[in-house]
Amino acid sequence: MFRNMLKRSWLSIHRKLGRTIVLTLIFFMMANLVLASITIKTAVGAQMDYAKSTLGGTVTIQADMDAIRENQKAEMESGTDRKELFGKMERPQVSVTTANEIATYSDYVKDYSYEVTVAANSNDLETVETSSRMGAGEFPGGMNFPGMGKQSSDDTELDGDISIDGINAYAYISGVQNETITIKDGEYFDEDTSDAALISYEFAELNDLKVGDEFTIKNIYNSESVKLKVIGIYDSSEERANGNTIYMNTETAAQFLSEDDYNDGDYDVANVNYYMLDSGKADEFVALVNENYPELAENKLKISVDTSEYDAMAGSIESVGSFATTILIIVIIAAVIIITLIVTLNVRDRRYEMGVLLSLGAHKRNVVAQIATELIIVGTLGFALASLSGTFLAKSMGQGIIDSQTASSQQQQEKNFGRPTGGSRSSGSGMPSMPAMPGGMPGEGSSMKQIMAQGRQQKVELDINATPIDFLLLFVTGYVVIILALILPSVNIMRYQPKEILAGKE
Amino acid sequence: MKKTNVLKVENLEYSYQNASGTQKVLKGIDAEFKAGKMYAIVGESGSGKTTFLSLLSALDKIQEGDITYNGKSVREIGGSKFRLKYVNIVFQSYNLIKYMTARENVQVAIDFDKRKVSPDKYLKQVGLTEEEGGRLINKLSGGQQQRVAIARAIASNSPIIVADEPTGNLDEDTEEKIIEIFRELAHKEDKIVIIVTHSKRVAEHADKVLRLRRGVLS
Repeated sequence: MFRNMLKRSWLSIHRKLGRTIVLTLIFFMMANLVLASITIKTAVGAQMDYAKSTLGGTVTIQADMDAIRENQKAEMESGTDRKELFGKMERPQVSVTTANEIATYSDYVKDYSYEVTVAANSNDLETVETSSRMGAGEFPGGMNFPGMGKQSSDDTELDGDISIDGINAYAYISGVQNETITIKDGEYFDEDTSDAALISYEFAELNDLKVGDEFTIKNIYNSESVKLKVIGIYDSSEERANGNTIYMNTETAAQFLSEDDYNDGDYDVANVNYYMLDSGKADEFVALVNENYPELAENKLKISVDTSEYDAMAGSIESVGSFATTILIIVIIAAVIIITLIVTLNVRDRRYEMGVLLSLGAHKRNVVAQIATELIIVGTLGFALASLSGTFLAKSMGQGIIDSQTASSQQQQEKNFGRPTGGSRSSGSGMPSMPAMPGGMPGEGSSMKQIMAQGRQQKVELDINATPIDFLLLFVTGYVVIILALILPSVNIMRYQPKEILAGKE
Repeated sequence: MKKTNVLKVENLEYSYQNASGTQKVLKGIDAEFKAGKMYAIVGESGSGKTTFLSLLSALDKIQEGDITYNGKSVREIGGSKFRLKYVNIVFQSYNLIKYMTARENVQVAIDFDKRKVSPDKYLKQVGLTEEEGGRLINKLSGGQQQRVAIARAIASNSPIIVADEPTGNLDEDTEEKIIEIFRELAHKEDKIVIIVTHSKRVAEHADKVLRLRRGVLS
């Protein structure tokens, strides 16, 4: 029976070629839009994952200023002298051991950064005169850092004229992230370039220092000289920039700490940031750290979460996703209406044929099944053709959306890493080469180069292509549309009386 | 002794509802049609011939009375099954499927009967060549189309063939040939052939003529 029905359907399809072509074109157009919408939704999903992996949010361990102020207030109320109070106040910091331990939560942490800020003496070098109130060796905030205007144990005023900023990656220097600092000459430092320094353009000019030159500055506590090699020269566009700030990795900077502050290698670090793998897990990570490191809160340190970058990105991506869903729903509704109309007209056109089949003893359900079979055959042809062209349509539509989102993401990454992720670099191109990033995932030797490579890899993976599941969804959606479009014509067929049809013709 | 197939009509009544009320078209018809005979039903227009034929071929539902085949009610058998197994209809306007060839139209009936025979056998029986069998319906003359319709009726292997004005659109020569085919179906193939007609020639060749006048068969 089925074979005979298939035979009749096939005869109808290839003998009524005009109708078949029109129907195939309608299915083809519908399928193209459905496939494009489905693929966009897939691309949106991929983009969300991409955003999660690149904008996973930041968790910061920093001084709990509210707690510190409360403490100050309480001490002042108890009669402590204001001057004395500010003199002895130090910004609470995290030990490098703790910072590194927390970073081992590899299920949450993609990367991390921290700083060691200390002063040094210029020795026989000239220092840059600063125009602002803030002098060399001073940092804003009214708090003292190691060696900055601090009294030594023998009451000698310890005051360095050089600011040392040790950080575990060049890319995490705040000026680099704010795009106020750029490399004029030389290279970036990394964890392997020990005793290497990145000096300001003004400081280099003043002391006639070039990339590759060596210079010596002194530890303000023990007056020991530390020899540094100029690895790069930076320029800062910041108005209040301190030209006497020298950037280096944390290990090199730690050489300028006092013996007490160095604490056998367990020195304090500031501005501890953890970059999350998944912003959705940031709160979970904070809870875990608070649970396992209660001393942080005791030391007036607080852990705060910033997922604003991811939230902003996710919001725009989600709106694209809902736009694709709206298109998909509209296309499906339009397709059901159009195909219902065509099939209804087609059924009316073939009333006598159906009357003949019914007069020969066919059941009405057999007649409906024949119409359905014809639609499924023609639909399958339309969907198959759309699978070829729809991929291109989906690519152009999906790529457009991804491009806009990726551009936004890359801008964000430029802020985070100092350079766009997909950019090519070579030492001969005039662009300074990016050194390996220090302080990556412990034991993994994660570097800036690897992060950049990761970024490139992610972009390649985002290549818009309809997946086998997208094709499967297209065919399933198409067949659902056919079934829905058949409801009304089927009701008409079920109401047909062969006598009325055939007598009408008589 | 060979059993004779019988189509029996008992007290058959049929009414239409229209604007002026209920109009009784068939008024208690009794008739018996036996295998091996060709019957002609004649009558004026509006006498109820087509309604009677529709009921005989189960294209319409019986309102009052009954139609039985070998003692089994058509109501029991069911309209669709009755059409599939017991009766085939030849229409004045042929009612062939236009996008199919003559052979394919006949094949449809064979397929419904789930048999594996060549449609050419039936086309040959009604005087069509293999070449004509391969033509699309609209490439055939009216007479050829009517032959195809008859071939389809024969191919369905039904014991009853009902024809509604089968020669109405045909010239005299062709009409003669078609009448001969129906006679052969009745006499040689032992089918019950019932033809509703206005044609005197058809009536003359019938084994029995039944006249329908104002819903009453005589």
